[in-house]
Amino acid sequence: MNREIKIVCFLVVGSLFSACVPVPKPHVPIGLGSMHQEEIEINVVKVPSVTPPLVAVVDKEYGTKPLNYMNSIRSYFSNKIARGELSKYKYGYPKRAYKKEGFAYGGDVSWKGWLVETSVATPTRTGRLLTPKPYMVLFSGEQIVEHILGYSHKLITKVDK
Amino acid sequence: MANFNTHFNVASGASAIFSGTLLSMEVLTPEEAVVAFFLGTLGGLLPDVDSAHSTSIKVGFNVLSLLVTIMVIFTKSSTYSLIEMFLVTSLVFIGIRYALLDVFRQISKHRGMFHSIPVAFIWGILIAILMHFFFGLNALVSWVYGFMVTVGYFVHLILDESYSVDLRNKRIKKSFGTALKLGKFKKPKDKVQTALIYMSIPILLSIAPDTTLVINALFSHDAWLIFKDVLIPSDGKWFMH
Repeated sequence: MNREIKIVCFLVVGSLFSACVPVPKPHVPIGLGSMHQEEIEINVVKVPSVTPPLVAVVDKEYGTKPLNYMNSIRSYFSNKIARGELSKYKYGYPKRAYKKEGFAYGGDVSWKGWLVETSVATPTRTGRLLTPKPYMVLFSGEQIVEHILGYSHKLITKVDK
Repeated sequence: MANFNTHFNVASGASAIFSGTLLSMEVLTPEEAVVAFFLGTLGGLLPDVDSAHSTSIKVGFNVLSLLVTIMVIFTKSSTYSLIEMFLVTSLVFIGIRYALLDVFRQISKHRGMFHSIPVAFIWGILIAILMHFFFGLNALVSWVYGFMVTVGYFVHLILDESYSVDLRNKRIKKSFGTALKLGKFKKPKDKVQTALIYMSIPILLSIAPDTTLVINALFSHDAWLIFKDVLIPSDGKWFMH
């Protein structure tokens, strides 16, 4: 019996100590591929090295392509997520996409517009900066309709890959 | 075997701890944490729905029939007239609450495969699928809700198993091993049933939402660091914030 207790104690102490060893941070792909990426830190707005052309693109089905999407997303998230104003952002290019409602609400197409993949690295309440979280931000023109956690959802179809 | 009240109290206690922790870790919003709490509690009652006259089966079918009725109202309110709506929802409610319950009572057997580990996982995956496809929730929240149901389910199974050990008379009851089991293997019929249940898991996983987000949120090094941050006051000042 004593031996078993010793083994259990050894395992508990061992596992507690193993938790103290820093483990390399998991690599979370932000999924923006070879697309234009840009980082904006709060208070320090870096001018993108490759500025996307500011030409209004109007799609009959999907509406106007958002141009000022980076600032829109940043101000949107500052109210939507905890410590959003202190977060670091990376943006993809706007893509045409549509979203279906959940089957509980009929399953019809509920939104058609432009989707911007955004990765947000938010600090915890103790100030530790976390691995970036992926978001899809849905636009109708320049207006943000909603955001969805993750770069994929079974009810969202991205028309532009 | 633990009674309904014990299952309810222990499952709700465990759900409160889990949903509170997930709220503190900022995995869930306050509203989502409330839903997670209810789902965890419901998961703690689910295994007894195969017991023909248990309170769980009545509660379970009441919730199910109301849920489906509300879903019908959501989907058809814009097209149906009030009379049509009343007729359809009444039919749906009565059909599930009474007719389906009666059929279920006849085909189910208490302490069958409902009291098993793989079924606990199947319920979790089913809830994740339901939340993602039916209610359009994101993959993380869908999986967390599924996780909560599985946690509640496990609490029930562990509780049943612990009640089968009589500590006062120092004996093990006949029911020992019938709750927290991997499957039934006595009869050929049981083996087929067990095999089907195990085979359904990869099929369900193939249609389930993406697991990357939930793994990062709950089972990553980041998650562990966040948990440590919220476990005790990081600045050492207790109750001074």
